[in-house]
Amino acid sequence: MNHLNAVTFVILVTSFLIVTLIGFASARWRPAEDPMQLTEWGLGGRGFGTFISWFLLGGDLYTAYTFIAVPALVYATGAAGFYALSYTIMVFPIVFIFAPRLWSVARVRGYVTLGEFVRGRHGSQGLGLAVMVTGILATMPYIALQLVGIESVLTVTGIGSTSGNVLVRDLPLIIAFGVLSAYTFLAGLRAPALIAFVKDILIYVTVIVAILYIPGRIGGWAHIFSVASTHFKTVNPATGKPFGSIVVLPAGEWAYASLALGSALALFVYPHAVTGVFAAKRRDVIRRNLAMLPAYSLILGLIALFGYMARAVPAVNAGVKAGGGNSQLSVPLLFARMFPSWFAGIADSAIVIGALVPAAIMSIAAANLFTRNIYKELLKPDATPAQETRVARLASLFMKVGALGFALALNKTFSINLQLLGGIWILQTLPATVLSLYTRWFHRFALIAGWAVAMAYGTVQAYRTPGGGQAHFGASAAPVFGHVIYIAVAALVLNLVVSAVLTLVFRKVGLQDGYDETRPADYTADLVPVPTAAAKTRTPAIPPR
Amino acid sequence: MAHSAPSRKRPATLGTVAVLLIVAIIGALWVPIYARSTPKLGPFPFFYWYQLILVPVVAVLSWICFLLLKTRPTPDAGPGDGGGAQK
Repeated sequence: MNHLNAVTFVILVTSFLIVTLIGFASARWRPAEDPMQLTEWGLGGRGFGTFISWFLLGGDLYTAYTFIAVPALVYATGAAGFYALSYTIMVFPIVFIFAPRLWSVARVRGYVTLGEFVRGRHGSQGLGLAVMVTGILATMPYIALQLVGIESVLTVTGIGSTSGNVLVRDLPLIIAFGVLSAYTFLAGLRAPALIAFVKDILIYVTVIVAILYIPGRIGGWAHIFSVASTHFKTVNPATGKPFGSIVVLPAGEWAYASLALGSALALFVYPHAVTGVFAAKRRDVIRRNLAMLPAYSLILGLIALFGYMARAVPAVNAGVKAGGGNSQLSVPLLFARMFPSWFAGIADSAIVIGALVPAAIMSIAAANLFTRNIYKELLKPDATPAQETRVARLASLFMKVGALGFALALNKTFSINLQLLGGIWILQTLPATVLSLYTRWFHRFALIAGWAVAMAYGTVQAYRTPGGGQAHFGASAAPVFGHVIYIAVAALVLNLVVSAVLTLVFRKVGLQDGYDETRPADYTADLVPVPTAAAKTRTPAIPPR
Repeated sequence: MAHSAPSRKRPATLGTVAVLLIVAIIGALWVPIYARSTPKLGPFPFFYWYQLILVPVVAVLSWICFLLLKTRPTPDAGPGDGGGAQK
């Protein structure tokens, strides 16, 4: 069914080459006085203003997986998939509350990762390690899923042969990831920051064109909604229940709200989002950005509607069926069937480049975590900045190779399950990280215990949840106390209860608190606006040689 | 790399910001308000157009919060790169 279309292919390859050039060139963008500082490689010199931060944070928010998975969910289940829009609506106001404090304390104390903040705040190496391990565990499958996103585009475009040999079949993917690793290694966070411009232009163009062009070709919005509504009313023979619904049903409201809230709370404790926040130049940059980032939410809402458009195109439905009922193919198929081949090439490039940017940021964030919380903390406390940077570069390489191995060796379902687990896990670092920005009331050991209990509970609960034809890891929401809710949120409540109860117990028995190296003023500090002309020129007049 | 003293905001300002942000969050979190198909806006059921319109509304609320909390450049530091002094 999927013949290689020459025009689509050429456009896809050309845009990949352009992005590669930008990636390598970015090493010379805003040159640092000393490029071998971890804050230079890993945080772009902490010098990104409003404009660049906007692209960088947007690059975190939506990845190839969102581009593919959100409409796929809407395609398969209807309104329930729209929780992603609700999530992106509430995420920015939530982050608005705590991100400036986080930025300030990291700036004053020189933290590059959340793990360092937790260690410094609670004087607990163990708690810092717990946060770091959770961060890396949750990030790895997330990177792997970017590859899964690229793969579904390549499958539909007909790139990548159907050979049984893994290396031959996935060669395009391996090449793309190899090139990405090379320029990330060289340029650090500057590479994804610059490429994010191209990515976003392509995505905005694709989404706007799709929303204006496709409905007219398939009979208008009224027709799209009516087709979807009719389909979701039919009964799924496998479950004996309707496929879905066009509006969330009362029984699904708890799941919808808790999925949205849980995802929103989790997003900015993911290492890659924290990296985006730390790279900002000033405190105001973050707040201003959080007011401007909803532009991405709007795009995400429109992308979610692609699921209904795909449902209204019989050729897409046939293609999904032919692909083994894989609804992840619905958006690439929609592009291939609806757009002329040259524009399908642009749309496919948007997805592929949309995968490369977050994959790069994620691997850098994970590398920062490893370098600061393992290498510098445990292995070599007297490491020089240059040694740190070298270790971080290598670690980013390992993360990508690991993710590639993941995506190629394990089956897709497994990666998606792990991503689901990652979301549950990462939220369990919230009490130690975000709450600690405000209070040290929780005892460090109680936080560790709460984290451990919640991690175990979340993992077991996810394992026990059937759905989508699988006995385990079938869904991210499960019945708790009579309501179907997002497992991560249930685990978070458990986490908080355990932490609070044990804090009281530990205080009672007089267990010692850790030393807090931060000061109250650290949390509200900002850079003094630079006086005179120096404020205008970002780089020093004479770079030292 | 100098750091300024913590900026102090009046409780009234902080209260306003808190209310605006809570309104923004509840608007998306309280699903029963919008889990319905009518009134429709053209072919769009309420569920969809409510959420799509909520996005710019939340952006405006956040922007107001940003302006309220904006740190004023200290007088001796000269003009910052923003819109100048607030209030």
